[in-house]
Amino acid sequence: MGKGHIRNQMRTLRFLAGEMTQSELGAKIGVTRQTIAAIEQGKYSPTLEAAFRIAKVLGKSLDEVFQWDDA
Amino acid sequence: MAWREKTAWITLVAMVIAYGAYFILINTAVLTPVSMLGLFGAVTVLQVIAIVAVTAVLAALSSDEARAKADERDRAVARRGASIAYFVLMVGVITVGVIMPFHDVGWRLTNAALFALVIAETVRHLIIVVSYRRGWRG
Repeated sequence: MGKGHIRNQMRTLRFLAGEMTQSELGAKIGVTRQTIAAIEQGKYSPTLEAAFRIAKVLGKSLDEVFQWDDA
Repeated sequence: MAWREKTAWITLVAMVIAYGAYFILINTAVLTPVSMLGLFGAVTVLQVIAIVAVTAVLAALSSDEARAKADERDRAVARRGASIAYFVLMVGVITVGVIMPFHDVGWRLTNAALFALVIAETVRHLIIVVSYRRGWRG
């Protein structure tokens, strides 16, 4: 326990979803632009609910957006 | 920078300056209890005015951010700060209430209790700032 972290493809998927901005994504899931930036940089792990919301807005499944990295 | 990080910085800097000055003064100058109380009141009022004024200016410059409700990261960071500061406050309260009465009396106890509060609040805001800066995965 304690090793590993959540990585994500949010930046790429935002681009593919019509170059959605961090502010737009944040507004759709109810968090600030800074929180979206922190999630993308791996500085904050979203709650499960926020993760599902992000995946839904980006039109992807949860595991297409977030992956567990053992390293 | 997140709005709540900005407000944590403002409070942290104001507290360190205001109460830093207070504790330096009460340890270097000879003050009566009444003047000490007056100094404490003045320092507290000035600190609150400074925080409100700077926050109001920042809010005017970034109105959308200031109006936004705290999101889940803001709440998580705030909880982390409060839970760590709680232990700092516990140590302070035990020191002031259980250990110090054996060899100190009066205003020294009062000021030590205030010092414990200031340290706990400083730690709380420091944890908030560091959590925003360096990230915190909960």
